[in-house]
Amino acid sequence: MEKKFDFHQSEYYENRELSWLKFNGRVLNEAKDKNIPLLERLKFVSITSSNLDEFFMVRVASLKDMVHADYRKKDIAGMTATQQLAAINEKTRELVDNQYNTYNRSLVPLMKANNIQIIEKFENLNERQQKFVDRYFEENVYPVLTPMAVDASRPFPLIRNKTLNIAALLSGKNGKSDKDAVEFATVQVPSVLPRLVQIPSDETEGAEDQTFILLEQIIEKNIDKLFLNYTVLCAYPYRIMRNADLTIDEDEAADLLKEIQKQLKMRQWGEVIRLEVEASIDKKLLRFLKEELKVAEEDIFQINGPIDLTFLMKMYGLPGCDSLRYASYTPQRVPGIEPGENIFDAIRGGDILLHHPYQTFDPVVDFIRQAAVDPNVLAIKQTLYRVSGNSPIIAALAKAAENGKQVSVLVELKARFDEENNIVWAKKLEQAGCHVIYGLVGLKTHSKIALVVRREEDGIRRYVHLGTGNYNDSTAKLYTDCGIFTCLESIGEDATAVFNMLSGYSEPLSWNELSLAPIWLRAKFMHLIERETKHAKEGKAARIVAKMNSLCDEGIIAALYEASAAGVEIDLIVRGICCLKVGIPGVSEHIRVRSIVGNFLEHSRIFYFQNDGEEEVYMGSADWMPRNLDRRVEILFPVLDEEIKEKVKHILFVELSDNMKAHVLKSDGTYEKIDKRGKVLVNSQIQFCKEATEAAPKSDHIYRERIFIPAEPVE
Amino acid sequence: MAVHTFAAIYIGSYEVSLKIFELASKKKLRGIDYVRRRIELGKDAYSTGSIGYELVEALCDTLSEFTRIMKEYRVDAYEAYAAAVLRDVSNEFFILDQIKLRTGLLVHVLSNSEHRFVSYKSVAMREEFEDMVKTSAAVVDVGGAGLQITLFSKGKVVTTQHLGLGTMRMRQQLARKSINLSQYELQIEEMVEKELEVFKAMYLEEGHIDHLIVIGDYMTELVRRVEKKHDEKTDDVQKFLRYLDKLGKKNLEQISEELGLANENDALIVPYMIICKCMAKGFGANSLWAPGVIVSDGIACDYAERNKIYKPTHDFDEDILSAAKSLSERYMSYSPHIDALTQMSTLIFDTMKKEHGLGKRERLLLCVAAILHDCGKYISFLNSPQCAYDIIMASEIIGLTHMEREIVANTVLYNTHPLASYQEVADKLDHDSYLVVAKLSAILRVSNAMDRSHKQKFKNVKAQLRGKELVITIETAEDIALEKTLFDAKTAYFESVFSIKPVIKEKRVYY
Repeated sequence: MEKKFDFHQSEYYENRELSWLKFNGRVLNEAKDKNIPLLERLKFVSITSSNLDEFFMVRVASLKDMVHADYRKKDIAGMTATQQLAAINEKTRELVDNQYNTYNRSLVPLMKANNIQIIEKFENLNERQQKFVDRYFEENVYPVLTPMAVDASRPFPLIRNKTLNIAALLSGKNGKSDKDAVEFATVQVPSVLPRLVQIPSDETEGAEDQTFILLEQIIEKNIDKLFLNYTVLCAYPYRIMRNADLTIDEDEAADLLKEIQKQLKMRQWGEVIRLEVEASIDKKLLRFLKEELKVAEEDIFQINGPIDLTFLMKMYGLPGCDSLRYASYTPQRVPGIEPGENIFDAIRGGDILLHHPYQTFDPVVDFIRQAAVDPNVLAIKQTLYRVSGNSPIIAALAKAAENGKQVSVLVELKARFDEENNIVWAKKLEQAGCHVIYGLVGLKTHSKIALVVRREEDGIRRYVHLGTGNYNDSTAKLYTDCGIFTCLESIGEDATAVFNMLSGYSEPLSWNELSLAPIWLRAKFMHLIERETKHAKEGKAARIVAKMNSLCDEGIIAALYEASAAGVEIDLIVRGICCLKVGIPGVSEHIRVRSIVGNFLEHSRIFYFQNDGEEEVYMGSADWMPRNLDRRVEILFPVLDEEIKEKVKHILFVELSDNMKAHVLKSDGTYEKIDKRGKVLVNSQIQFCKEATEAAPKSDHIYRERIFIPAEPVE
Repeated sequence: MAVHTFAAIYIGSYEVSLKIFELASKKKLRGIDYVRRRIELGKDAYSTGSIGYELVEALCDTLSEFTRIMKEYRVDAYEAYAAAVLRDVSNEFFILDQIKLRTGLLVHVLSNSEHRFVSYKSVAMREEFEDMVKTSAAVVDVGGAGLQITLFSKGKVVTTQHLGLGTMRMRQQLARKSINLSQYELQIEEMVEKELEVFKAMYLEEGHIDHLIVIGDYMTELVRRVEKKHDEKTDDVQKFLRYLDKLGKKNLEQISEELGLANENDALIVPYMIICKCMAKGFGANSLWAPGVIVSDGIACDYAERNKIYKPTHDFDEDILSAAKSLSERYMSYSPHIDALTQMSTLIFDTMKKEHGLGKRERLLLCVAAILHDCGKYISFLNSPQCAYDIIMASEIIGLTHMEREIVANTVLYNTHPLASYQEVADKLDHDSYLVVAKLSAILRVSNAMDRSHKQKFKNVKAQLRGKELVITIETAEDIALEKTLFDAKTAYFESVFSIKPVIKEKRVYY
């Protein structure tokens, strides 16, 4: 007897914000891992801290907007915005406590043991250090400080978002006014100066000690120098987070957008959504801040340690501490691509898979670079989303345009937090003569595709690079991504059609291989999942393995539940948000979810469908999130080459056997690491590093005869 | 092996497209890029009779983008064709001039016959085509401005007719006047059915055909929904009709969504569906084929054949001849005399190759003129040449351009009448065409004189150039006094055109 389930009911779904907080918890877990070198652990603490900042600025701000707009629609887990905010608040407090416990109880003592001191209170400085700090203050800090007092004639100043500030209570020195009159003053800790200042070590402790103090402590120590006519009663650092983002987060529904536009005038711009203060802050000072910043009690976080732990990222780069870091990994050469040789010849030899950062990103840069100077190349077309500061790709594209190639570049200006940067180099490209398309109205172009059109002897041939990650040579060293080079005609045709569409022409009559969001991709995924369901119902083996960053699309999750209910075995490797719940009887018993948080940021999206033995493997730029499927231009491409298909499957299956960096989602919604007893330890990222090193061609050892090669006569 | 890159630009009534092709003699036509942009020129053209500033602006912008793409592919040549939408408007010349000045593109406005030929060509180049026309088939080309039906029987063209029932035109004409959608649909249906009835009565003797071939934008989408395998051909026309009925109950948005159309509110789909329904019903065909061809393919194919990159798969000359023959039959002028005349005139044409300097195409025109030279008698014996001229100009012969038809008609006219001076016909013929008319009509007139009695008295005719004389040697057992007398009277014209005198040498044979 078959029981009917409504796969859409809200108890089958997890709230995405809470799921995200769990993800940040997993990152924090890495900081707790005793097997990881100290500086790596500090880096993870820093990441959780900056992650949380972004989360507040984007997601919490968005939820606050919903509350203000009186938007009552519930999310997929059946929670209203108010309920979500309450739950987030509670979980965030747990996370922050956990963060500082880890920092204070494990990492600070461990740093000490490794001769790294961070002096928390300026009171603990010895005489020599005090002198150093005072001089440092006078020479470097004092000139850039802008202290601001608040009284009847001077209103409370605008405190900038995310900046660290010091608040102080003052009283008049010469008793001009009556003694109870206490004034408030604030000063921003200058962001132009390093937060972490190295100071001379205590000689008694050992010569190789490295000692640091935080900038705000230096200022606090000297704060009386800022208010000469006053007595400083107390001074404490604080930090605020504002809902100052003018744009609505694209993840929210379109109807919300309209709602907010209506409410726009009523909205309190720049509302403070979080206030962080030191736990020991003076009560009077806190009350004053609370009133002036109009911040609610529940949005105040009393921090047991230094505010804003992102400074620990600076610690990570500490010179002379290599033993406290992982040995740096050099991305390996890609077999099949000889540096300096013609990359188009290599691609003509067959499709080539790139697996970053295990393998180098250089071929992708080379692809554009060679195309720029190749006389046979007619055109280069590329989408650019986030690009590194001094991008070699931009330089190559500009050069190509100068060489008379037709260069079309789609620049996505809407890339979050990156807008300004993008505009600068987009202008640069335009000056060089590139045809720059500034994104599409209403859609973010998230797809990663590069097309080189080359005129060869037997006609036009198109070379395409399709990837899961951005064309960013810096992040390619840190993010795990996959890419494929191909000159298959079917994909080349589609690639041309993609760029035609992006240039504003009508969509093609049909697609050969690629599936594009926002029009066709959702249907494609649904079809692929439903096909497995059908196979399972027919009693055939059916399996889905999918790897992505986030899973929170209701339609897809419901389809996965239906597939699981029909008996499809489903393994999901979801790094971040996962709104799917496992182990619901009759609904998701066949679904397993794991999250890998490692040294590299898991970023590739790979999808495997068993399809009754005719296995299909896809890769792409899209997560299973509504924003990816409905509001972005994304590309899903099939892996057609059998050999590469095996390699990509290998990536998935190694990650499924990872038992060191993987957390497994339990039916109660928690994530746990795997019990490793009696098992061969597998760390997928380390294994991929090893495999890439072994596979890389060792050209250095080949004996080369020294000969001069006569040049061919020029035609 | 040289690869030729060719660009085909097509300006239709609601869409402007550019398709880039690679042409190489041993390979199939390869389309390498295809961009389309929706510009509804027809909206202005069919409601106000001229195209407004904004649309011309959009058109020029798009075309100049096209030139950028053409540059990108370094195309060797291009052809830019505009469809009826430009032909029908009052500001045609200004638009063409603006396009030329702003984009450098020379746009050729297709006459209806050229247009139909090009799209017909794009179907005929497909492999399945030859099989289908073997029995009986109708090619229906549904465009924005009009509807073209070309009828085939036993591999030969019977007729081709243009019906003014384009999707865009009907939408513009009816949509504003109808009270509601269902009335609008009914009106379209009525219009199409009436026209089709007349067509069938005139040309379809059996009352039905085997294969219906429909060319047009949405057809492939429609047929693919009916066939499970997403084939473009279906053998079950009834199923197709049922599907259309089902679809007809939905609203525009739903239809567009179901068919996956780019434009969510594609108002052209309704007239299109109704036309398809009427055609499928009216012709009683067994199978329906919707080859997803586009005009650009035909343009490229035509270009490739003209430039001898491809050998044509289908004999389009044969189509022209058979269309001319059925036209001749329709006006009861087809007889053994016509065959004799055709034979005779081509013989003279071939012998005179060096003297007239004309090519294969003109030879074909001569044949067509010979076939049709007598059709005017159907209307008036006295005024036969002028009537023949009018019939030819009013009939469509698939494959002949407008100018070519003009040449044929004038050749027929001046077969009898003395050749008019160039000034008198300059509005119809350009200089070159005038010369062609003169030469062809001179040849036709001499040939005609040789079978004046329509009794085919001459056998074993041979022709030879000897100095300034064209010696025609004939064998005959009959009295050819009539021919001989008339012949001398008709040679003067020939002489004045070619400076060669035709002479008959008689070889009397006795049985």
